[in-house]
Amino acid sequence: MPDLGVASSSIVSGVLLGGMLALAALGLSIVLGVMRLVNLAHGDFLLVGAYAGFFFFTFTGVDPLLGLPVIALFVAALAIPVYRYLLQPLAERGAEAQMMTMFAIAIILENVFVLAFSADTRSIGVSYAALPLTLGPVTVPLVYVIGFAISLVAILAVHWLVARTAFGRDLRASAADAEAAATIGVDVNRVRMLTFALGVACAGIGGTLIGTAFQFSPSSGGAYLLNSLAIVVLGGLGNVLGTLFGGLALGALQSVGGLALGDGYRDLVGMALFLLVLAFRPEGFARGRR
Amino acid sequence: MKREKIAPAPRETAVILVAFAVLWFAPAFIGEYGLQLGFRTLIYLTLAEGWNLMAGSAGLVSLGTSCFVGLGAYVAYGLLNGLDLPLPATLVACALSGAALAALVSPALFRLRGLYFTVGTLALAELLRLIMVNLSAFGGATGIFLKNDPPALPILFRYALAVAVIAALTVTLCVRTRASVILRSVRDDEDAAAQMGVRPFRVKLAAFMLASALAAMAGAVQAVKLGAIEPYGMFGLQWSIDVLTMVIIGGVGARLGPLVGALFVIALGEALADYPEAHIAIAGVILIVLIRFAPRGIVGLAAASGHTVRRRTLA
Amino acid sequence: MTAKALKACAAAIVVATTFSLASASADEIVIGASLPLSGPLAGFGSFQQWGYKRAVDEVNKAGGIEVNGKKEMVKLIIRDDKTDPNATASNTETLLSRDGAVAMLGSCTPALVNAGALVAERAKKPLVTGCDPLEAFKSVRNWKWVWDIFFDEPELANAELKAVQDWGAKTNMKLAIWHDNGPDGQVVGGKLWPEVAKSFGYEVVQNAEFPVDNTQFTSIIGEAKSKDADVVLVDAITPQAIAIRKQMAAEGYTPKVLNIEKGAEPVQFAEALGKLSDGVLVGGYWDPSFPYPGAADLSKAFESETKLSSSQHIADSYAAAQVLLDAIAAAGSTDAGKINAALAKTNKTYVVGPVKFDENHTAKLPIVALQWQGGKTVIVWPKSEKTGDFLFPLP
Repeated sequence: MPDLGVASSSIVSGVLLGGMLALAALGLSIVLGVMRLVNLAHGDFLLVGAYAGFFFFTFTGVDPLLGLPVIALFVAALAIPVYRYLLQPLAERGAEAQMMTMFAIAIILENVFVLAFSADTRSIGVSYAALPLTLGPVTVPLVYVIGFAISLVAILAVHWLVARTAFGRDLRASAADAEAAATIGVDVNRVRMLTFALGVACAGIGGTLIGTAFQFSPSSGGAYLLNSLAIVVLGGLGNVLGTLFGGLALGALQSVGGLALGDGYRDLVGMALFLLVLAFRPEGFARGRR
Repeated sequence: MKREKIAPAPRETAVILVAFAVLWFAPAFIGEYGLQLGFRTLIYLTLAEGWNLMAGSAGLVSLGTSCFVGLGAYVAYGLLNGLDLPLPATLVACALSGAALAALVSPALFRLRGLYFTVGTLALAELLRLIMVNLSAFGGATGIFLKNDPPALPILFRYALAVAVIAALTVTLCVRTRASVILRSVRDDEDAAAQMGVRPFRVKLAAFMLASALAAMAGAVQAVKLGAIEPYGMFGLQWSIDVLTMVIIGGVGARLGPLVGALFVIALGEALADYPEAHIAIAGVILIVLIRFAPRGIVGLAAASGHTVRRRTLA
Repeated sequence: MTAKALKACAAAIVVATTFSLASASADEIVIGASLPLSGPLAGFGSFQQWGYKRAVDEVNKAGGIEVNGKKEMVKLIIRDDKTDPNATASNTETLLSRDGAVAMLGSCTPALVNAGALVAERAKKPLVTGCDPLEAFKSVRNWKWVWDIFFDEPELANAELKAVQDWGAKTNMKLAIWHDNGPDGQVVGGKLWPEVAKSFGYEVVQNAEFPVDNTQFTSIIGEAKSKDADVVLVDAITPQAIAIRKQMAAEGYTPKVLNIEKGAEPVQFAEALGKLSDGVLVGGYWDPSFPYPGAADLSKAFESETKLSSSQHIADSYAAAQVLLDAIAAAGSTDAGKINAALAKTNKTYVVGPVKFDENHTAKLPIVALQWQGGKTVIVWPKSEKTGDFLFPLP
């Protein structure tokens, strides 16, 4: 049995990590909630953010975490034409058409990454990327704490946007019942476009965070898609704060699984948990409005 | 409301059996390359027929095909290596194991509707893959090797053909008979169907079990041909995604959807093989174009532009 | 029936076109290769592609190979197997049948190599490969048509501890092993390292296994830290290697000796980690400083052509292709049996060193211990070949 220091560090790390990943998952969640679309290119948009952060850092020397607003706008700008020309024309069709289109985007992006940036594994090498932070018996990577803080701020910002602004009201209306929303004057199409951009931007900055704390390569998108999906299900579709909760829960439980069974079983624990939640409470655990 | 004509089962069955008889002798007049392509097409066709049955008829969009392909592969190796069972008996056992796993997970999976079901099958497939990677009893990531050399290509081709024909006949049985009405009612409105006395759970279960049995058999034949299996290759998501892509390209719910889709994807793969660095991006672009302009797949496209509007659908 | 007939016709046309797609012309020697150009192993695939192409281009520039009394050009056809063994197998099949390849060059890593090699073996066509550790290669079967040029796992397992011993570095003799559960991870980490460590007098305080694509190593690192292991041996691929080193630093764990096999070899490891890569040991089977013909030039040529950082895999693939081309030239024929017989007689020094196949169809490349220092690899063992001093302890 691992000692107290290892165990508590592990769990705290897991929770922080989960909070970081919750931001990326949030992107998936709001797109799913409003557009009923499983964005299969989610992991690859995350990589767009990671590569953007990497090159931002390489060419300007500025910490990419400071450049996050720029990166967010960049990724969102990419999302708009994708929505306008590829998704909007398919709005009336079943879910598969849009989902498969996003899948096609995913494989195109992966191929483009390899051609443009080579298949090399990259990491955003900021100076604090590997520093530990020790508080008593608990030692966690400093970058997890920073990433968690940023993620928390971003999630709260999105929550405020969704819960308290006019756009947010339109978003919730479109998600609940698009036809009804249209009849009361909501421009559902515009809402969807902005939601998609917002969701993809969340994935992008989540990607920058991940690129700083970990490493990435053209083929790492798929794993993050699955991870995000698990968090979304735990937290409830389209539920912003719920996604945060889902991330924290998943992170904690994965750490516990890793401690009990070995690190090799982290992903397995995550998947098993995911399935259990799907089976018994598909709407997730968090309550409250979106 | 247009009355759709349902082609009677006997005629379609006859067509399938004639095709079987003709293709049985294909090894005599098609070269190596043709047999190789034919083999792959038949394996994909089997998977696609099963998937189309679930999605087109019963409304269950699954991303869990890889689960059963892998299961069939490992069960086959276990029986062939451990018990020296002959291949036909092994295939039957694989089919049964596929159906058994489907039955086992169905109580949990069928609580989920629509999108959640799809996500659930994806999670199941990934879970099984992760388990296989971690379990050293089944070789872990190294996998296992087939003890004896597999039979020659013509023989394997015939096995693949037999499995594909079984798949086609199964689907015909389900959709060209009265059963199709029941399937359709569950797909269109489960609750209403239940009120009419149909038991949706049983119907969905039947479709799921059949599709899984077929997938397991296809996985077994493919595994025998490879001679060596490991979790990434046999439980990998590429199986689920390839099948989904194929049927969507061909036309979900169309009787010929799986065949057209399988042929198209294989042919496209061969045509793009000369562009090893960009073939995936090109395939992605083609997929986007097809989805945009052929909403009911190639079959739908051909039907819409054909002179007769006698669409053959899966009920 | 019209719609159905239309569809059937269209399908038939597509199929027929595919069937009849032309293969190489009769005056070319076709060699096929299925490589991972996409998917997780795309990095390896790109190195191999470069090495194979370079060897073929050089032969063609010199006028080609003489077979049956006539000089013919060599045509190299490469297919992407997307890191999927199913694709490697079908690519190998079609390269042999549709494109008329007379011989094959292998893919990378045991799973993919096996898939293609089994096809070649059954088709009785020669296949030369690198990128497949010898024990893993030999454990599949007694190959008749497939040949492997790579390193041997037991030698790799010994190298670093021998280096530590030869340099007289003092540690607390407590050792932790972290390995992935891929084929060589299980062999090197699961079987060989525990025995080797014991034979050198170490106490193995931890032996942890993780899946090849694992991302979180917190509890593994935590356990080694709490058990106070001075020496850590790791076997993982590059993304995991980078993650492990980063997470070790982030958890405040710095052992005295850190060896990361496989993953720490390519330059991208050092590029991704910067200063954190200093002191990391990795076994290598090739370095541009080796005293073999063309070694230094090969690395320079790669970097100037591709503007990417070099890796030892360019040498292994380059040599494998040359070995095959030399065998075809020696056989003077495209007959599979003759080429195979010529391969058995290979006995020449290539850019990776002397290549001669033993009765198991393997040619061993000796291991040296490399250490990252300032973004470059330095040979620290055997001492007789060293290009720098051993950096100890880990900074």
